[in-house]
Amino acid sequence: MKQLPWKYIIAGAVILALAWVGISALSDSSIEYATVDRAEKLGKTVQIIGTWEKSKGWNYDAQSNTFAFTLRDEQGALIPVELIGAKPNNFEAAVSVVVKGRIDDGVLKASNVLTKCPSKYEGQPTDAMPAS
Amino acid sequence: MIAQILIHVLFGMALSATGLYAAALYADNERAAWFSMIARRIFSGVALGLVVSAVILVVLILQHRFDYTYVWNYSSRELPLHLLIASFYSGQEGSFLLWTMFVALIGVVLTPYARRHSYEAPVMVFYGLIVSFLTLLLVAKNPFAYFHESFAADGLTIADVRDNGKGLNPLLHNAWITIHPPILFIGFASMSVSFAFAMAGLIRREYHRWIDIALPWTLFGTAVLGFGIMLGGFWAYETLGWGGFWGWDPVENSSLIPWLVVVALVHTMLVQKRTRGLVKTNMILAVASFVMVLYSTFLTRSGILGDTSVHSFVDPGKFAFWILLLFMVTFSAIGIVMVLRRRGDMNIHREEFSPTTREFMLSIGAALIMASAIFVTIGTSWPVFMEVLGLPKVAVAIEFYNRVHLVLVPAVLIVNALSLIFIWRSTPRAKIQSLVTYGAAVAAVATAVMVAIGINDVGQIVLAFTAWFSFAINLRIGIGIIGASPAMAGAYISHTGIALLIFGVITTSSYTESHHAVLVHGVPTPVGEYTLTYLGKEQVEKHYADREKFKYFVRIERGGSTETVAAVLYWSDFNKRQSPFLEPGIRWGLHNDLYVSPKATEREDLFQRTTIMRGTSIRAPYDSSVVIELERFTMPMEEEQTADGRMQMSAVLNVRTADSSAVLKARTKIATGASGPVFDPEWVQLPGSTMAVGLAEIARNNEDPTKSTGDLVFRDMSKPLPRPREVFTVDFSVKPWISLVWFGVITMVLGFAFSIVRYTRQIRKQKALVVTQDTPLTDTQA
Repeated sequence: MKQLPWKYIIAGAVILALAWVGISALSDSSIEYATVDRAEKLGKTVQIIGTWEKSKGWNYDAQSNTFAFTLRDEQGALIPVELIGAKPNNFEAAVSVVVKGRIDDGVLKASNVLTKCPSKYEGQPTDAMPAS
Repeated sequence: MIAQILIHVLFGMALSATGLYAAALYADNERAAWFSMIARRIFSGVALGLVVSAVILVVLILQHRFDYTYVWNYSSRELPLHLLIASFYSGQEGSFLLWTMFVALIGVVLTPYARRHSYEAPVMVFYGLIVSFLTLLLVAKNPFAYFHESFAADGLTIADVRDNGKGLNPLLHNAWITIHPPILFIGFASMSVSFAFAMAGLIRREYHRWIDIALPWTLFGTAVLGFGIMLGGFWAYETLGWGGFWGWDPVENSSLIPWLVVVALVHTMLVQKRTRGLVKTNMILAVASFVMVLYSTFLTRSGILGDTSVHSFVDPGKFAFWILLLFMVTFSAIGIVMVLRRRGDMNIHREEFSPTTREFMLSIGAALIMASAIFVTIGTSWPVFMEVLGLPKVAVAIEFYNRVHLVLVPAVLIVNALSLIFIWRSTPRAKIQSLVTYGAAVAAVATAVMVAIGINDVGQIVLAFTAWFSFAINLRIGIGIIGASPAMAGAYISHTGIALLIFGVITTSSYTESHHAVLVHGVPTPVGEYTLTYLGKEQVEKHYADREKFKYFVRIERGGSTETVAAVLYWSDFNKRQSPFLEPGIRWGLHNDLYVSPKATEREDLFQRTTIMRGTSIRAPYDSSVVIELERFTMPMEEEQTADGRMQMSAVLNVRTADSSAVLKARTKIATGASGPVFDPEWVQLPGSTMAVGLAEIARNNEDPTKSTGDLVFRDMSKPLPRPREVFTVDFSVKPWISLVWFGVITMVLGFAFSIVRYTRQIRKQKALVVTQDTPLTDTQA
């Protein structure tokens, strides 16, 4: 039983070390959900939930592999988005999009765009299919 | 109607079977036997009823009974047979039915097994409660709801029932959906078994015997769930074109978390089997593995993670949300209360392990795996935690998982190797030294080779070294054992598989070359060390009216070798053909995969565009002595509409050459396309030249219309208009040794199969002998 404190000290140290790894990784990689306004103030990578502003269209440039569109955030603010990559699946059908990226010179440079589709689940039948 | 009632009846039956088993626990022997007999029959009835419900649902889908909401929501007339069957569990209601059915069917096998070990009532009372909750969930999310009932609030009646269903998401149209979800749900269902046995052990105050009885089941659940998770990764890689096999997405994590917990549990169960230690730990882990299945289900099915995942999430409705929450809270509470009640009893069984023993290393390994489970849980739940705490919602990037696992995985691999070098109870020092030296030498040489080929990241080097260390030790000891007694080699096979998986992870993450390539039809294009040519497309599945599906053939050449892969672009009515669904083209290989992930397809731009702002001028690209000034744009009302209803605008241009000046109107027809306006320019010949100008685009500046810009294009009218060729844009990557990922997981699962055989045999033998509580088990092992 005399060896016990040793064991607890080592176990405690290992747990502390792991906790430190976890906490430091967490604080470095956490990404806030923000509005355009807040994202501009923060100046770091955030996620913005909003909708595609259809009147502004979208554009995919194959040479630079850039997909561009305009996002309207939940408070109605507009911001142009540039995503390196192709147009996400179901982009037009999405009721909302979640853009991960940072604002640089008034443009949201996106690393990821998620599309949320309503129609798949519990959709309103009235707009999903023509009635028979 | 009958099916709806059936679900309600099944809930009642499950509840009464549970009640009878509970009564059997407290009744005297004779009455208990009678109660159990009745409960057993009722339980079989529940299982039969669930199979009948599943069959009814499949039949309704096959008959295209769109008067049922579920059938309308997830299937359509166009689906082939295997996808019609798969649409049975494509939605929430059906997947709960599938899960419940598997739990009940496993229960049917479990009942006689538990009975043989005289554990029927205490096991089945908990198992029955699980089935009761699941059937209650089916009552709340009934797959047999009628269309007119579901949409009664929208004023729809039977007359509004559609002629065709909404169909299945084209991303799910492949063979994987027919096997991945069922396998995953069988894995989930098996987690209930270890939980029920642990609780039974607590009721009986038998803290060791349940371990032996439950071990084969726990191994089975671990193997099946692990295999199911891998199939999901394979599906994502092969069909969905995510490029990788794992993305730390919440849905992926939600099946990984219970798996990690049950892997830890398997190891601590082995320790208790041999040493009688870790009694409480096993109880807690058995509870945790089941509760994490429920927690994961709750996270992914309650809709609360909706904004963080590529998977579609759904709000299941208030009632189902609360049942899921209640389900989770109830079983956590049962587990905690049961463990606390027997705390005093269990503390008697404390064991101290010396550090150079297998039991010590296995315990450390289990602790590290639990740390991984905890980190993944924290990462996945972070947005929810923050929301519950009223803080700004925050998600966790993939780097979080990568960073913690770059620490945890090497530690686990080292501990794994040491646990095999060490033997139970105590290990002679000489044996440790020789094996560690051998393992470290092999690992050092192999890692040096990998560094020479090109890994330079410290984390990856450490990972590679530890994986080689574990691989070498497992192989050496495993080969010694497989000759003597194949059934005992399970652990070594599994761990070798894990090392292979880690090698695959290292090679694909360190050596994958990825290039963006724009391929013009028929033009060989150098991409990295390869030459890619887009050869053309071919329409497939032409007999379906709801889709246009094309194979895009790409030739890949390098040196003398030529391969052709076909990527798929798929326009479907499912999303009103607004954009295609994409599937990668893959050349499979043992040492590398060539992966062509389609991005876009379009006609090439034939003309160089020149952008010009209002009030400014440019020099014509074909002749710098010609100056073109954009005076203004005409408004659509100044122009006539075209015959087909398109509006028109013009650029008013002042064109000045050395000796002349003219005002031209370059008109363009504007239509509304999916991605915004589409411009169709009219060519206007420039004075004194064969060149003509067209207005290819107008970009209106809303804040200051005088700063709007236009894109001008020029062509030589004396030459025929070239036909625009098709341009196919892809991401091309070479993924070295990704086959190791799949091969590694399959090897791991195979190892589990060996171990299941071993421990099932062992328990049969034990039953033949008379088991007493206090004799430690003996099996012959190195």
